[in-house]
Amino acid sequence: MNDVLILGDVKEGALDIRTLELLGVGKKLAGSLNVELSVVLVGDAVSEAAKQAVSYGAARAYKVEHPLLKGFKADLWVASLEQACSKIKPKVFLMGHSLTGMELGPRLACRLDTRLTTDCTDLSIDPKDGLLLRTKPVSGGNAVSVFKCRGEPQLATVRGKVFEPVAAVDGKGEIMDIAPAIDESMIKVESLGIVREETVALDKADVVVAGGAGLEEKEGFDMLQELSNALSKSFGNVMVGATRVAVDKGWITSDHQVGLTGTMVSPDIFVSVGISGAIQHIVGMIHSKKIITINTDRGCTMFKVSDYGIVEDYKKVVPALIQKLEELS
Amino acid sequence: MKELEIIVCAKQIPDPEAPLSDVRVDSEKMEVIVDAPQVISPFDENALEAALRIKEEMGAKITVLSMGKKVSDTVMRKNLAAGADKLILLQDDAFENLDSHSTAGVLADAIRKIGEYDLILTGRQAGDWDFGQVGLILGELLGLPCVSLAREIKVKDGNVLVKKNILGGYEEVKAKMPALVTVSNEVGELRYISKTKMLTMLRGGASIPTWKSGDFVSAGAKLQKMNIVELSSPPDMRRDCEMLEGSTPAEKAGKLAAIFKSLR
Amino acid sequence: MTAYRIIYWQLGNTGHWVFYMLAALSVAFFLAGMATCVLVWKKKAASVELSFSWDALKRAMLDAFLGLRLFHGDIAAGTMHLLIFWGFLILFIGTVLMAAHEYMVSYLTGTIYLVYSLVMEVAGLMLLTGILWALTRRYIQRVPRLERRLEDALVPAWLLLVVITGYIVEGLQLAYLRPPWYRWSFAGWWIGSLFSAAEGKDLYLYLWWVHGLLSLSFIAAIPFTKLFHILGAPAGIYFQEHERPVDIMEGAGEFGLGELIFFDACMRCGRCVEACPSAGAGEPFAPRDFVQAMRRSIWQQYSTFGDIRFLGKGEVSEVDDKFWYCTTCRACLEVCPVYGAAFEAVVKKRVLAVEEGDVPKLINQTLEKLSKYDNPWESSRNKRGAWAEGTDLVDLTKTDAKTDICYFVGCTTSLEPTAQGEAQAFAKILQSAGVNFGILGKKEPCCGDVARRMGELGLFAEQRENSLNVFDEYGISDLVTFSPHCFNAFKNEYPQAPFRVRHYTIVLRELIAGGKLRFKENGRATVTYHDPCYLGRYNRIFDEPRQIIRSIPGLKLVEMSHHGADSLCCGGGGGRMWQKLEGVGKMSEVRIREAEATGAQIVVTACPLCRIMLEDARKAAGLNEKLRIMDLNELVLQALKETD
Repeated sequence: MNDVLILGDVKEGALDIRTLELLGVGKKLAGSLNVELSVVLVGDAVSEAAKQAVSYGAARAYKVEHPLLKGFKADLWVASLEQACSKIKPKVFLMGHSLTGMELGPRLACRLDTRLTTDCTDLSIDPKDGLLLRTKPVSGGNAVSVFKCRGEPQLATVRGKVFEPVAAVDGKGEIMDIAPAIDESMIKVESLGIVREETVALDKADVVVAGGAGLEEKEGFDMLQELSNALSKSFGNVMVGATRVAVDKGWITSDHQVGLTGTMVSPDIFVSVGISGAIQHIVGMIHSKKIITINTDRGCTMFKVSDYGIVEDYKKVVPALIQKLEELS
Repeated sequence: MKELEIIVCAKQIPDPEAPLSDVRVDSEKMEVIVDAPQVISPFDENALEAALRIKEEMGAKITVLSMGKKVSDTVMRKNLAAGADKLILLQDDAFENLDSHSTAGVLADAIRKIGEYDLILTGRQAGDWDFGQVGLILGELLGLPCVSLAREIKVKDGNVLVKKNILGGYEEVKAKMPALVTVSNEVGELRYISKTKMLTMLRGGASIPTWKSGDFVSAGAKLQKMNIVELSSPPDMRRDCEMLEGSTPAEKAGKLAAIFKSLR
Repeated sequence: MTAYRIIYWQLGNTGHWVFYMLAALSVAFFLAGMATCVLVWKKKAASVELSFSWDALKRAMLDAFLGLRLFHGDIAAGTMHLLIFWGFLILFIGTVLMAAHEYMVSYLTGTIYLVYSLVMEVAGLMLLTGILWALTRRYIQRVPRLERRLEDALVPAWLLLVVITGYIVEGLQLAYLRPPWYRWSFAGWWIGSLFSAAEGKDLYLYLWWVHGLLSLSFIAAIPFTKLFHILGAPAGIYFQEHERPVDIMEGAGEFGLGELIFFDACMRCGRCVEACPSAGAGEPFAPRDFVQAMRRSIWQQYSTFGDIRFLGKGEVSEVDDKFWYCTTCRACLEVCPVYGAAFEAVVKKRVLAVEEGDVPKLINQTLEKLSKYDNPWESSRNKRGAWAEGTDLVDLTKTDAKTDICYFVGCTTSLEPTAQGEAQAFAKILQSAGVNFGILGKKEPCCGDVARRMGELGLFAEQRENSLNVFDEYGISDLVTFSPHCFNAFKNEYPQAPFRVRHYTIVLRELIAGGKLRFKENGRATVTYHDPCYLGRYNRIFDEPRQIIRSIPGLKLVEMSHHGADSLCCGGGGGRMWQKLEGVGKMSEVRIREAEATGAQIVVTACPLCRIMLEDARKAAGLNEKLRIMDLNELVLQALKETD
């Protein structure tokens, strides 16, 4: 009913922080449109999450529950959300630009005959026609574009770690059930199994120590790991990151890649070692609170976007730094 | 056994590797002007590589489609030089700057005109606009099973078996063909195509079928352009960098350690 | 009594016929083996043009008979081989002469026989000494480049037995005959003295057959073992192609007859391995391994019987991808006794790999960059002239003004940030000397060297055509290049080019000789010069850079242990600069350590790639305080006396 609707993401029974960010931007949009904010949750047991959602200020939390919806199965989720949207009739529908969002968004847009903009970094309402203004970086980060599309709901996927998460307000909202009419025959893609790989969740790091081509060798990452270990004594979650070049050279696996086609990170501290600063990498870490660069090339782009810099061979500085950190702790 | 028919959708874009210094943002015309040669979008090359590997393993006929206002057959012939069997260019002024839905619609019409197919492969997103929608919308429009973010594709007994990226690993899925799969770079880089192969393909002179909108787009289809409200250069990301100087690396390291301490 | 020798002593009629049959069999095997080789060559070779060249024949004969190349760097080896070669040759000729005496006209009697006998005796001893020396070098001294496979022991041992049994046979006959001329066959006599006359008679036949069988089988075995080099080496030297300027695009990537004979003639001496900087740096590539693997894979493919060299059965016959390590430095050709250019075979293999699309990932990306942007460094054409910003250099593409010389800067010097100072240095020197020159700026094309070395001949041809068009458009007829790679490409790989090309060292030398550049003493320093492969070995420009250094007062020039034609590659050529292979820093580190050992403070080079590699090596070796790397231009610029 003309709400601003958010697709909530449930992780281990609780709302994921991305959902809180969506609630944050959703609240703003709802205010501009003078409508209410609601959340839709999909899964086999989402009651707890629904309660959480209203406590964060959603006027309504819709539960789309079904045993078949346990785990993400795109065919069923798309069908369920299609039905939910035709009942809820939201004015705006937002999802996170996650792997699920990337899959659901386009397919839902097609089924609901609306138009989607992905990976938005800013959203606002055009006062002239009440349509959603979607801002996103294009051309690999070389330009920023604002789009407007027709269709209802106004559909967008939102980039994570850009908007502020909403704070809990102890709200009292409604919780409603929407029973999806789905069955197994709708599943066109059968899952044969999931293989877990040891990957790092870079976007959860408090501090990232990243290496690039300037490390000159695979062993450079061993040194960065030592630095990470030393830093983790004073900082929470410290992880090693890398540029695409380092991954291409086979020095480190792609789950460590920071950048446009890797992971977008915005830790408290980003330490860049031997990275010159290609745009695709920079857009992946530019929102870090503090950026520190170690590089032998004084003129490299990385220094231009850093808060602190050392022009020196990392092989000399990093061991000394590790030592000094031990002394200071 | 009938030969496997694979369709690959490949977009022509300016080289995404071009440095920032070669990019100009024209806010008035709302155009990003890149002083770089046109290339095949990288993820679409990955899609072609996936198709070629299937062809090598079990034989297949690969048709490549490319849509745009002006599609260069010099650039697109690379697909043929790599081993694709057929190339069809969908070229018309009406195809300029279409939004994802319309693009998918045009491709769907072209594919319906082609008729028979088992597998449609596309890159997960284009290197210029990075929307990542056309593949999945195309799958929906054609009513096909859709798998996205593939890192490995195999075909067996009328099914496509895909390893797809998920958070923390990958998932193995199976879908009955005909199906659509969008491909990610983990599939592998397109093999190197030597200049000689490219030139032979170019000089070979075999004409490339070019279809205009009227040849295949369904009557009454509304081709919607992207509605760009504003286009600008990215905000200045520069920061004032404080250089930590010292006469020895140890001295510089000491200053940095102090900064870390202050940030705790 | 006139001297003589009993031939076929005690050999009855049957014995004769058996011997003739075996001899025929031996020759048949020999010819069959040779024919198989020729068939394989014919099948594989791009073209089999048998042209006659006196020069080539002279060279082949000189090398074969004097074995001069074998002395290079290893006098012991040269001497040893000369002993074996002449010992064997003389004995062989002697046998032919004896056959003539036996079947045609009897003349080996009396004094003639005595002289003959003495010469043969000495020859036999030469051969014996040579073989024993060879075995000592291989098994006792264990010279590193010599292998110790079964074949390497079996073949010399076989020949040794032939010689020894030969002496014993001779000795046995002498023991029986006890002729007055025995001293002329002193060695045989010494052996003969160990036997009684009766023993001599009884044992003779057995030993004769042993000797006969060993000899006949030796001859038969020639094409089936590394003994093939006896005929293969002179043939290979005759047919060696690299001296002939061939447009690489004709029969691009095809192996020629000379190359195929080279693969078969390769004696596995290992001089190439010793000289190869890649092998020396512990990388998994060695020219010998590559050549032998190529040989075997060609035989597997083109011979109905597979590889006829039965003693090498277990060996590698797949050429793997290690050939991407080769820097094309040409050190192997410099030392190979049969003028084998292993590095050219490597490039041809790369051509095949490129056609199949089977290239390492970084090469894929580099070739794409080259193709799109005409340089392997940046994804943009626009920065090529950027190094000259702020200078008032004449841009030949803009004005109508013609200058005498076009300064061809090259991609590395234009684009690599640390190299741009060098680009400016040469420009300043030319200005100081009043030379009328211009640059091509942004429009400067790629010379094609990188594509050529990586085996992308199609791209090379395209870049060559483009360069020729650019030069034609702007009326460029006199080029001076910064990089030896560009110089080599323009000079040797642009046949019938309508322009003159020189490397900057030649121009500097001329300017100094003409008094256009004068130097002041700029402090004293000890300097060592690193010969870039493409300037030195490829184009034999060794002296000019040294003359330039010597004309600068206050500088003392010392040489590294490998210098001139022996110079050690820095590791940047052959496309390696853009590959970043596993463990690739080592090669340049070996070189920088050599530089350090000279005690010099400055290492001077004349190639931008060398400079970058040596700089990196200097950092890696921790020699930043002790050594400076400078391009020759920078050295010269520093010492220039200001002209009035």
